[in-house]
Amino acid sequence: MTTSSQPMIDQWYPVALASQLPPEGRATQLMGAPIVVLPGEPIRVVAGGGRDLPVTVRYGHVWTSLGEPSKELFDIPEADQPGRRLVEVGVVRVRCSPLRAVENFLDIAHFPFVHTDILGAEPHTEVGKYDVEIREEEDEVWATKVQFYQPQAAKSATGGITTDYMYRVPAPTSSVLYKTCPARPGDWDVITLFVQPLTEELCDVWPWMALFDDETPTTDLIHFQQMIFLQDRSILENQIPRLLPLDPGREIPTRADLTSVAYRRWLKRHLFTYGAQLVAQ
Amino acid sequence: MPVELHRDWIPVALSADLPAATVVPAHTPSGILALWRSESGKLTALADRCPHRGMRLSYGFVRGEALSCIYHGWSYGRTGQCQRIPAHPDLTPPAAIKAASYATEERNGVIWIAQNEPQEPPPTLDGFKPLRSMPLAVDADRLSPTGEVRTEFAGIDMLLLIVATGNGEAVAHIMIAASASKDDCVAASRAAEGWRRDCERLALEDRAS
Repeated sequence: MTTSSQPMIDQWYPVALASQLPPEGRATQLMGAPIVVLPGEPIRVVAGGGRDLPVTVRYGHVWTSLGEPSKELFDIPEADQPGRRLVEVGVVRVRCSPLRAVENFLDIAHFPFVHTDILGAEPHTEVGKYDVEIREEEDEVWATKVQFYQPQAAKSATGGITTDYMYRVPAPTSSVLYKTCPARPGDWDVITLFVQPLTEELCDVWPWMALFDDETPTTDLIHFQQMIFLQDRSILENQIPRLLPLDPGREIPTRADLTSVAYRRWLKRHLFTYGAQLVAQ
Repeated sequence: MPVELHRDWIPVALSADLPAATVVPAHTPSGILALWRSESGKLTALADRCPHRGMRLSYGFVRGEALSCIYHGWSYGRTGQCQRIPAHPDLTPPAAIKAASYATEERNGVIWIAQNEPQEPPPTLDGFKPLRSMPLAVDADRLSPTGEVRTEFAGIDMLLLIVATGNGEAVAHIMIAASASKDDCVAASRAAEGWRRDCERLALEDRAS
């Protein structure tokens, strides 16, 4: 690992579902380093040489860091809101940069082409103007007033609706999506993407949800999200280069990509470059 | 004229394997290109990378006279110029959004691509007709230093056009004597499978020793 990736070492990363740890533990990797997540009270994460890493259990997942996190794990206030159903979706392994996985999650323009007839459909391809900012106090990327027409926005949706979205990036490989809740207009469903960087070009993606939906069986909710992420995987594993280019010029954005532009700028500002390509090759 | 005199041209596919309104990855020694045929039948080879987000264009789809990227539907014409960005239907895409394009020729059922601007057309391969293309897990140099193998399969004259595709792999575009019957073609195709297995086994044994 290069020193330029140092700032990302001190971040929290998801490494397991707390509820599904096997008795022998989960042997996995974090930023190239082998680690083991051990069940028990408390749950432990052990790196090579027997070193205990910091552990936080939150949003259903076990979080750890190879470095020394200066902050607690980011807060998702909705996680504690009464009436929400918390859904652990599981894991999808993707042969791509962890940063590319997050960027894809922030993108709506691909819905009609990658999630055809589910999250989008031609001819409803236009992406309207929306607001993007880097909130200095929280040090997070936010996109608000995002709207998109969706044939089947959620498992609980029965027909096409224009869905409102907000995106939030509180950590380099985590994103929180707020979207119109079909069952409770006026409230937001929360869908997150927690990404575990195994290496710069390989990641485990852990989606997690906090929904207002008392009807849909959990299995169906999980299948719906897994279908969406498997469709994304067919894209993510075929982008060139595999690393996310942070230098302008290598890839050409448009107005629909302003969230991605802000995300890349924010990554660059913090030297969050594990999984990034800095010099165009 | 022997194939080696036409190194400007690289055989990449058989015409029969690229119907109208489809796209395929065309393997060349310097990488993959997106090879597509428009609805009206025109051939185009473009760099296999959408300038927007780097997605492989060979995963895209053809509609009318344009190739679209599967990721965001950006569509490209035969020059490689981006024609349409679905997220902004009213926007005329800037000239800078362009995928490199390469010369293509189709002769006697074989599709050829040129990286530069060749002086001469690709060979006609008179006396042969296309049979099938076949990938092999074998270094192209082991099969032929010239890119051309003349042999017999099932007693029938064959011409194999060999292209290195990197990582110790190759593609053979297999031509059969023009006079071959349907039964001859089936027999030669089976013999070609045996030839591939032999080549791959020898290559494996060599690597092991």
